[in-house]
Amino acid sequence: MSIPEVDTQLGKLKRSRRLKQGLALGLLVAVLVVTYFGLGFVNFEVDEIIDGFPNFVDFIAAFFPPNFEAMTIYTTDNGITGLEGIWASFSDPGRLAESLGSPRLSLVRAAVVTLLLGFLGTVLGFLPALLLGVLGSEQVTPFPFNFIFRGIMSAIRAIPAIVWIFLFVPFGPPSQATAVLAIATDTVGNLGRLFTDELEEIEEGPIEAIQSTGASRAQTVGFGMLSQVSRSYIAWTLYILEINTRIAISLGVVGAGGLGLYVRNQQDLFQFQNTAAGIIMIFVVVLSIELLSSRIRARLRPSEHEGKGFLQSLRDLASPGKWLGLDRDKGEKS
Amino acid sequence: MPAVTFDDVTKVYGEDTVALRDIDIEIGEGEFVILLGPSGAGKSTLLRVLNGLTQPTEGVVEINGEVPSGARKEVGMVFQEHYLVESMSAFQNALTGALARNGFFRSILTWQRTDDKRAALEALETVGLLEEAGQRAGSMSGGQKQRVGIARALVQQPSLLLADEPVASLDPKAARDVMGYMKQAAQERDLTAITSLHQVNIAREFGDRFLGIRDGEVVFDGDRDDLTMDVVDEIYYGEGADEGAVSTAGDVPPDPAERGGTADTPPAGSADPPATAEAAEAPDSPESVGGDGS
Repeated sequence: MSIPEVDTQLGKLKRSRRLKQGLALGLLVAVLVVTYFGLGFVNFEVDEIIDGFPNFVDFIAAFFPPNFEAMTIYTTDNGITGLEGIWASFSDPGRLAESLGSPRLSLVRAAVVTLLLGFLGTVLGFLPALLLGVLGSEQVTPFPFNFIFRGIMSAIRAIPAIVWIFLFVPFGPPSQATAVLAIATDTVGNLGRLFTDELEEIEEGPIEAIQSTGASRAQTVGFGMLSQVSRSYIAWTLYILEINTRIAISLGVVGAGGLGLYVRNQQDLFQFQNTAAGIIMIFVVVLSIELLSSRIRARLRPSEHEGKGFLQSLRDLASPGKWLGLDRDKGEKS
Repeated sequence: MPAVTFDDVTKVYGEDTVALRDIDIEIGEGEFVILLGPSGAGKSTLLRVLNGLTQPTEGVVEINGEVPSGARKEVGMVFQEHYLVESMSAFQNALTGALARNGFFRSILTWQRTDDKRAALEALETVGLLEEAGQRAGSMSGGQKQRVGIARALVQQPSLLLADEPVASLDPKAARDVMGYMKQAAQERDLTAITSLHQVNIAREFGDRFLGIRDGEVVFDGDRDDLTMDVVDEIYYGEGADEGAVSTAGDVPPDPAERGGTADTPPAGSADPPATAEAAEAPDSPESVGGDGS
């Protein structure tokens, strides 16, 4: 039995499917064409990569074994090289303290500088980000005026921190101080945008409820809106702290100090084993911040926190699986 | 002086959507009034006009002899979906009822006066949640959340307590609890209360006075004894409902799942009229409803 309407509908579906397939094919061809000619445009020669690969392997081999001689002032002065530098440094807290307290070069101090650049940039950028982020939301500032604040954030965001540090040259050449300024500026653009987006998605109900109590406009923003997003704001700030730690390293490479500067200097001096030590330190610092931040952020997610006592949370902190996000509580939330 | 006076109040939305038509009622101090009527009848608009979130098109509303303008702290409001900030504790939510008494900086820095904190705890005590004061609102049951919503309204120290379908999304037991606490709070604090409800059996249990609203008009005004099932039919289905196929006795609307699966559906055979919004939106023509149900 054939129903004409069904046949018509079937034909329509077939045509629409063919159209979609055609579009997908066209898109794929476009991507391939741009990639092929693009590689030529930027002089990317696959042959060169292949030919250079043995050199690359030799080059990387020169990084081993990593030399942690510069770990602390103690290891530098006593010529303790290689991996022993780590043990010699951490076996005595006094040696760590000595390095932290001295302006002389040490990996320990460089790591702290890098961490502080990210931290201070995040802290200084937070309040302006909060202000612009809240004002950029249509919930708070009526359209189109909210776009003034969104525009400011977009403009800031368009320029990366590594360019901001050169725009701050009137305040001094790339240094730790201008790096903090550059990271803070970058934070305003990125964190502010996240704040705005978060505010656009809140529930209207509590806002109306707070209004109905006779609260002022500012109180309505504070208690009806920001109270709904406070946890996510903390979570986003931690996420930006993670990113800022990485930015601190790239700013270091252009002169802001810390681990980035150490790696670049050792590379320029062809001290590849020292470079390797610096890279391992970067790895440790970035991964630590990332793990810490992601664990705290997971704690801020209400569903995971619910029905869990303080002691349980402490036990979770001690569990390696939890840190790596391997084992998740199942059926915790009914 | 009556607590609330509606003097020929009409509210028109847009060009010609009449939500309220010549409402002319007085509500005495301390009365516990329940508004009954199908969805879209104008119950919510009546409440919104009272708490100042909506202005009447014609006529005057007076609360304690004054015309309200904008949201007022003298009018406490309980919402259908509780509207709590779920990340805050029950205590913090209740405390937001005191915002109008505090400056912005005092409240943002959580430097509320001890009196206000005490008021918040007392309000939570009134709704039986003093022990749960520190619990996060998001982790509470629907009934508990709604009781926190009542506490928040009480912290405003209102003279008039309004509630818009406060138990529509609760199961029958939780609904009774919530209404019980609300009634108790109103009695203890000498509040005038106006609540819209769909569950007629719960309404009968707690109300002193009932206003039936249909198509923006008050079609019934009486006490419990006057609220017979015929009257309820008339409020929900209009004049002549008893002549058609629709009879509230045993005529429970089609399928609970179709109506959003709310738990407050009366059991089949109970003498309740439709219990939920969608069901109450039954078409005006009794025949079509009868056809649906059969």
